[in-house]
Amino acid sequence: MKDAPELADFSPEVERHIARFLFERAQPLLLEFDSAWHLINLQGDANRFGFDVDNAQAGARQLQDLFIGLSHDESVDLPFVQMPNGRSAHVHLLVAGDGYRVLLLDAQGEHDRQQAQQQTSNEASLIGYQKGKAIAQLRQIRSELEQQRARLQDANALKNALIATLSHDFRTPLTSVFGYLHLLETRVEPEPDAETRHALRAIRRNANYLFTLAENLLEYARADTRSSLLAPVETDLQAMQEDLDGMFRPLAVEQGLDFGIELERVDETTPVLDELRVRQILVNLISNAVRYTHHGEVKARLAWKDAALLIEVRDTGIGIGEDYRERVFEPFNKVGQAAGSGAGLGLSIVKRLVRQMHGTLDLQSTLGKGSRFRIVLPGLALAKPADAPLLSSDAAGGTQQRVRSVLVVDDDPDITHLLEVMLTDLGFRVRSVGEATLAVEQALANPPDVLLVDVELPGLSGNTAVFRLRAKGYRGHIVTLSATPTEEARKVALNAGANQYLTKPINIDQLARAMQRAVSAA
Amino acid sequence: MSAMARKICMLGDFGVGKTSLVSRYVRNTFSDRYLTTVGVKVDSKEVIRDGRDPLKLVVWDIAGKSALDALNMSYLRGASGLLLVADGTREQTLRTAIDLLLQSRSLLSGAQAVLLVNKLDLVERWEVAPSTLVELRKTLPVIETSALSGDGVDQAFVELARSLDP
Repeated sequence: MKDAPELADFSPEVERHIARFLFERAQPLLLEFDSAWHLINLQGDANRFGFDVDNAQAGARQLQDLFIGLSHDESVDLPFVQMPNGRSAHVHLLVAGDGYRVLLLDAQGEHDRQQAQQQTSNEASLIGYQKGKAIAQLRQIRSELEQQRARLQDANALKNALIATLSHDFRTPLTSVFGYLHLLETRVEPEPDAETRHALRAIRRNANYLFTLAENLLEYARADTRSSLLAPVETDLQAMQEDLDGMFRPLAVEQGLDFGIELERVDETTPVLDELRVRQILVNLISNAVRYTHHGEVKARLAWKDAALLIEVRDTGIGIGEDYRERVFEPFNKVGQAAGSGAGLGLSIVKRLVRQMHGTLDLQSTLGKGSRFRIVLPGLALAKPADAPLLSSDAAGGTQQRVRSVLVVDDDPDITHLLEVMLTDLGFRVRSVGEATLAVEQALANPPDVLLVDVELPGLSGNTAVFRLRAKGYRGHIVTLSATPTEEARKVALNAGANQYLTKPINIDQLARAMQRAVSAA
Repeated sequence: MSAMARKICMLGDFGVGKTSLVSRYVRNTFSDRYLTTVGVKVDSKEVIRDGRDPLKLVVWDIAGKSALDALNMSYLRGASGLLLVADGTREQTLRTAIDLLLQSRSLLSGAQAVLLVNKLDLVERWEVAPSTLVELRKTLPVIETSALSGDGVDQAFVELARSLDP
């Protein structure tokens, strides 16, 4: 392979062609200076590089700036120098014996190509850097969010554990209070004196109120409302009306209010509702109405019509401004708090309970004139007993006469005693044990007609005991009793082998129905 | 040629704001459009110095590079001072500025240098830590600048002019 050709290698004709081509592209401008840098000659298109031909000396001085600090006894090449008019040129300082020559060659085309290329590359690099930085920030944010989520999950688990504990710790003693109250109410015979009647009513009213308040807080704390289990029971609306009247009338009368709760029964069917939740709604609405009405009236109406319960609570109180209509249903709202008392929780609970029961809620209010809450709750179906394992049919002929046996398993002596009394009253022969292992042994050795077992037992849990019994072929009817009113807890108990799931506090009617169902199945 | 003219060069990575700093200093203008410099742009401005003759600064705005090649070296020849420019929002450009200073020493052993950490208007996004600047100030003048607002720009050029002889 031959070396790159020298200019002299070409014929004169080719040489001339190359020279002409390069000359046309470079459009050279030659400036000649004497030894004192005075311009003495100029050849070429000065305008092309932004030099004023009429004032060439000024342009020449700008060129001199390019050579500041350099020795002038050697040639200098400066590529891509921006000229006064912005055009790019290659600048060459050529040293002549008696002065200097500065040669400018047009480099704009090459400059533009390089600039476009460099611009793209630099912008890509800057964008890449910003992108990398953004990705790193996003990673950091994601990591922080994951940590935050883990902390929230921990906190949520702790909250759930706390709710479960609180729920149990509230419901268990209230079971005793309500149960023994019931016993007292039924056994103070034949007609209690006024003072005793007043005392019993006061205990019931305040226990009810305490229970409702506790339920409000627990209801609020339950993160997943879907887990709340509806408990349909045949509801005595008249008893509810009387209870609520007893609870609020004294306070309303003391405030000089015209107070009344009206009950209307259009539909002759027995209402089946989640009584506890309905009561919770009414207590909250009436309690608010009495609290925020300083003169005039507070009236409530319950109507069972077309298999639905209509609740209407109206007052002539302070009313709710239009701007606050939505906000009053938010938990811990400032409207309720600013109005004087309360946590601002009641109406948010009402709204949630209505939603849980697939009902509707309507609020009409005029500031300074009063409010009217109107709620419609569809009736529920009575819970059917879960499919039970095949029960012994040996008693099929003589169920009406034979005294049925129940084995009660509960570690709380008060609850155990209460159940013993109630079940004896219902006609059962009752045995009781305080822990699950013993219950398994006794149930296998001497099977009762019904096993009534508490879930929350020390050591072996009630559910585990039920599971063990079923695993050993136990086929008797089992009713599980728990302080956890959630669908999940119900499923766990039924999956373990229970036939029915009851929640505390025990309603005597519910218990009676459950036992009736158990006996019928047996 | 005037004895009171000195050549100074802007050195730094691409996109740090060298051209914008010169525009702000010489013409008091600013454009937020990024346009890559190819080759060199030469501007000049006279600086008044207390008790001394005015000095004409001939400012060479050299295309941004992370290392000095032969071309950059040819531009640097004859410079009396260097304005090293870094972008406060990109810490890597600070290291580049220091590297460029060290590389230039082989050619310009006596040149004065001032470090400009630019984009002060974006200080909330700065990666350069204040403690880093404290350390750097022990070895050379460091001035935080914003070509956008003009903060620190005149101060940086005057600081370099003051350090130049005569």
